[in-house]
Amino acid sequence: MLLSIKDLTVDVDGQPILKGLNLEVKAGEVHAIMGPNGSGKSTLAHVLSGREGYEVTGGEVKYEDQDLLDLEVEERARKGLFLAMQYPVELPGVNNTVFLREALNAIRAERGEPALSAVDFMKLMQEKLKIVEMKPDLLKRSVNAGFSGGEKKRNEILQMAVLEPKLAILDETDSGLDIDALRIVADGVNALRSPERGMILVTHYQRLLDYIEPDFVHVLANGKIIRSGDKSLALELEEKGYNWVLEEAVA
Amino acid sequence: MSEALKPVEHYRALIAAAGPSLPGAGQPWLDARRQAAAARFAEQGFPTRKTEEWRYSSIGQVLEQPFRYRDEAFEALTDSDIEDLLLVEQPAARLVFTNGRLVPHLSTTDGLDSAVSLISLRAAIEQGSEFVDQWLGKAIIDSDLETFEALNTALLNDGMCLHIPAGVSIEQPIEVLYLSVGLDEPNVMTPRNLIVLDRGASARLVEQYASTTDAAYFNNGLTEILLGEDAELEHDRLQDEAAQAYHMSVIHLAQAARSRYRGMVASLGGTWARTEYHTAFSAEEAGCELAGFYFAGDGQLTDIHLDVRHPVPRCNSEQKFKGILAGRGKAVLDGRIRVVQDAQQTEAHLSNDTLLLSRNAEVDTKPQLEIFADDVKCSHGTTVGQLDPMQLFYLRARGIQADTARKMLCLGFADEVLESCTVPAFIERVDQKLQHRLADVHIDTTTSG
Repeated sequence: MLLSIKDLTVDVDGQPILKGLNLEVKAGEVHAIMGPNGSGKSTLAHVLSGREGYEVTGGEVKYEDQDLLDLEVEERARKGLFLAMQYPVELPGVNNTVFLREALNAIRAERGEPALSAVDFMKLMQEKLKIVEMKPDLLKRSVNAGFSGGEKKRNEILQMAVLEPKLAILDETDSGLDIDALRIVADGVNALRSPERGMILVTHYQRLLDYIEPDFVHVLANGKIIRSGDKSLALELEEKGYNWVLEEAVA
Repeated sequence: MSEALKPVEHYRALIAAAGPSLPGAGQPWLDARRQAAAARFAEQGFPTRKTEEWRYSSIGQVLEQPFRYRDEAFEALTDSDIEDLLLVEQPAARLVFTNGRLVPHLSTTDGLDSAVSLISLRAAIEQGSEFVDQWLGKAIIDSDLETFEALNTALLNDGMCLHIPAGVSIEQPIEVLYLSVGLDEPNVMTPRNLIVLDRGASARLVEQYASTTDAAYFNNGLTEILLGEDAELEHDRLQDEAAQAYHMSVIHLAQAARSRYRGMVASLGGTWARTEYHTAFSAEEAGCELAGFYFAGDGQLTDIHLDVRHPVPRCNSEQKFKGILAGRGKAVLDGRIRVVQDAQQTEAHLSNDTLLLSRNAEVDTKPQLEIFADDVKCSHGTTVGQLDPMQLFYLRARGIQADTARKMLCLGFADEVLESCTVPAFIERVDQKLQHRLADVHIDTTTSG
């Protein structure tokens, strides 16, 4: 099992947000987590990545049989966990190439691989840029600084392509994208699907799932997964809205 | 003994003792200037914190040092001794000063256009050059010298004397290195530069203050720059003095119509360091861009004073300064912009951003915009903050160690202002020095969601 979450409860500012969440992800699987606003979707993504400000009050998270919650943010990343963020952070003055190379070499060191030379790294980048149809110019700029919304999201997927995670969590990757940008991002994600890699797509809308077909769909509401199914569940949600599952869950 | 004297008396004694052996002593025009400066110095005395321009910068520790004035270059150096310090690979010319005096065998002006004159101030004086008499003091708008300027002038001795005639462009930078070396007793040095670009001339100048000594010394420098119509100067300065050193750099800049000046200072070294830019436009459509980066850690005060004057219409100026403070480091940024009533269509912007890596660091930032014209675009903005936890999280979430991530963010913060420099080796050197300084620094971080 790549990821196993059992009865996870999480508080933010003293308020319970996740209230006993269970989820299992195997390598090769793509899981979509859908849910209304405020249901705890982004909290789940953040708590898995190790962001501060989220207090785990109960339950456990195993990642490749290790206790994930015991690991520092950077250790999780080095062991192959990747969070594509909803709001990628701008890093003025930090060169995109320097950043990507630093990150890749940190992860390669963890895997016991030697650091890539500048030349080999640039070769690798040329190949990876194609996956997200990004212009090489963006590599010369500061990380995300002055990037459009679409460029920022593509930069996230570029990082994922370069760092080759075992588990990728995509937090609202479709938000703020027009239809062309959405297709490019989705194509990038599809190109990165692999039998060795698990993915969790956190999304409010079904439209991302038109482009990236999930193996499983889960509905997260009020801090719990209240329903799971295959991709047809997403279509049903699109048609009937969230109220339908919420009412069924209460009943 | 001079140690027992009050600071002003101490320096008066130094001036009196040095006077007869200074270059050109006995030449009436020069004697008159030195004597007037000595008198001005004695009359004015050292500023106290009651003086507005010195409110945040105590000079007590400068005055406690019993600096002497030993007027002697350190000659026993070869090219290989300074190789690692140099920043420009193929300079148009290079001047190397040690302990305030030119070292001819380390300097070269062979590659310069023959119309350009670049010699040491001392040589210019000894040759009886009229150029010095004609231009010295002309860039100083308020002809009354401030205390440290008067001290420099009373001990006027050596420095760079550069004259580029009309229409001549120098593509490669001219590099000037001021090296303090082998000083076993605290010494005061008074580098004085005179730079004149005639109409349409252009040049790039890279200056560096460095040391190979741990001794306390005091560089009390004064630079005058006069730019003729349409002249252009790029001027990058690295202040990387010894940890115990005292550094004062006053730059006076006078710009004629349509001239352009781009200046950068990276202030990293010294226990006490102050840089002052005094700039004034004499005619329309000139531009002045000042940028700077400062770093101060334990036991350091770095002080930057800007006095940008817009006495005429349609000129623009931009001042962008950023700094990082660690430990008990202290910085002062006093940015004054004066736009008189007639200086319509002025554009002037000042920004100052400081990153505090420690709760014990302190910055006093004081933008002063005095605007009396109504049709202007002027702005100022200052920020003081810590490393952004979200930026730090982003880097860590990509596998980068927290420690490395903090350093990357600090370097990025610095590079944002350094990037306006057109000498890549200058930026690299500052980055390197900063990385080195950050290696010993503890960074306080606060947690936040």
